[in-house]
Amino acid sequence: MIEASHLSRTYTRGDGTPVTALRDVSLVIAPGEFVVVRGASGSGKSSLLNILGCLDTPTSGSYRLGGENVSALSDNERSHVRSKRIGFVFQNFNLLPRATALENVELPALYTGAAPDHARARQLLEHVGLGGRADHFATELSGGEQQRVAIARALMNDPPLLLADEPTGNLDSAAGESVMQLLTSLQREGRTIVLVTHDEHVASFADREIVIRDGVVASDTRRRERGQA
Amino acid sequence: MSGLRIVGAAWRSLARSKLRTFFMMLGVAVGVAALTALASVGEATRQETLRQFKRMLGTFDTLTIRPGAGSTRGMPSVGAVEPSLKFADGPAIAEGVPGVLRVAQVQQTFDLDVSYRDESVVPLVLGVSSNWADIRDETVASGAHLTDEDERTLARVTVIGPDVASALFHGEDPLGKVIRIADVPFQVKGVMASRGAGPGGSSLDNVLVIPVTTASKRLFNRDYLTTLIVQLRDENDSDRVADDVRALLRERHRIIPPAEDDFTVSSPRATLAQIEQVGSALSKIVTGVAVIATLIGGAVIMSLMLIGVSERRREIGVRRAVGATRADVMIQFLAEAALISVLGGVIGIVIGAGGATVGALLQKLPPAYMWSMIGGAAALSLAVGVVFGLYPAWKAANVDPIEALRS
Repeated sequence: MIEASHLSRTYTRGDGTPVTALRDVSLVIAPGEFVVVRGASGSGKSSLLNILGCLDTPTSGSYRLGGENVSALSDNERSHVRSKRIGFVFQNFNLLPRATALENVELPALYTGAAPDHARARQLLEHVGLGGRADHFATELSGGEQQRVAIARALMNDPPLLLADEPTGNLDSAAGESVMQLLTSLQREGRTIVLVTHDEHVASFADREIVIRDGVVASDTRRRERGQA
Repeated sequence: MSGLRIVGAAWRSLARSKLRTFFMMLGVAVGVAALTALASVGEATRQETLRQFKRMLGTFDTLTIRPGAGSTRGMPSVGAVEPSLKFADGPAIAEGVPGVLRVAQVQQTFDLDVSYRDESVVPLVLGVSSNWADIRDETVASGAHLTDEDERTLARVTVIGPDVASALFHGEDPLGKVIRIADVPFQVKGVMASRGAGPGGSSLDNVLVIPVTTASKRLFNRDYLTTLIVQLRDENDSDRVADDVRALLRERHRIIPPAEDDFTVSSPRATLAQIEQVGSALSKIVTGVAVIATLIGGAVIMSLMLIGVSERRREIGVRRAVGATRADVMIQFLAEAALISVLGGVIGIVIGAGGATVGALLQKLPPAYMWSMIGGAAALSLAVGVVFGLYPAWKAANVDPIEALRS
């Protein structure tokens, strides 16, 4: 699914000095894997996630997603890749506050060029256990509910890859547990999941753990065989 | 996204912040309302001016010849004009210039006392040839108009306007009564039909006519005219006939270049065009002010949209993350700006047209709407939305999704 080789990312600070966030990172993630990425803040894990999510491009190195070299694509083309092949789940949910749960779930469909499939959006809300909340505004939902709406949104265009950045970071442990259960079930459906976290318990849901330190891969351990929770 | 979905999404977004949307629409609505109202009031006034001219002149298929080089303005009086325009010039033009149907001779003054018993008025006194009434489409409400016989015999008869009739006779039948014009007795043989208001709104009915021959020999003792009215066979021929008339009169008056004409030929169309030019200069200024108001409305849209963009950075980041291209974001914000502006424009047109209707009715004029200006205002509001939305939309499209999604 993901083949990243020799990824580097260098930023230029306001005063002109370069900062290296990622240095020569290579990794391969197979389809259907559930990988957790850990690291201290400033370790470069967010930079890695931005590149894997096609929000950013590496300064050097190549990134192949599903066999296609996406590191060389234009901004427009990367938008289309995000639209069809990547679903995002954020720590702070990032729902549109003045839109309903259903409208939030349908948002990615706006940018596919196809007619909106309301039935699929409702079905996804059912799937995350919020079928009865479709017409509530995002602000009327609890944190756990908002994150589940966000997961349904990530699934709207049926992407093979889900990228989650601290998805349980703003949730209490019960809500976090249900979100992790949901992600695990999505892995069982065959989706590839890359999750960034600090939390040891959350990391225990993954098959494989990659630790980033100072912009390089410090360790890459297989915790268990794929999907054997 | 399809056009309809873009507009729908823009509508929902605007509906979510109603107060801001209201303020964004306000400026454009005010500007467009002003444009629509002023243009429509102007149009109603212009049409009324045209009607007043039509009432004053009776017809547009004429040329008017006056003595003097045309530097004098206002109503010429027989005592105050150059004595250059002779009676014989009339028939000479009628016979000598092709395309001329007939020529009326007029001597006028407006400073004579006209009295009946104890009442007296100072109307416009016109000595006219007998074809004058026909050329000007004058009809009588009662009695009869002046005849060739009256003209030939220097008859002391008069046809009076309705204002004169009511001022002197107070409802008594004026026909057959003898009134005194500058102490000369005249018998009333007719009362003219009312013509209403002329240009400027003054009455056209405060007038009386007597045979031009009688006026010349028995009242004014002048052998020259204040006006010749030349009626054309074909209205579109007026420039050519005017040139021919000028040439003929120069010859008759023995004017040799470089001496200038001692008369002025004008056509009602030219006079009207001059008046409309004055009107249109005024309306240009007014239009300019309204356009500036609309542009200020556009500036309000731009600044509030810019605030909106910075408040909605996260929304933009989310949209970009789920697959929106820069162009998608740009179009979304442009659509919002255009929709606001067009809605403001539509509200402005409704208010402006309503205001123009009320304004016209208050002036007791039939309302008129200048559709070209209303269409222009609608187009202007769309253009204002797009132009002033462009920069905020560009800012929105260039929000960095990584930055926007952090925090």
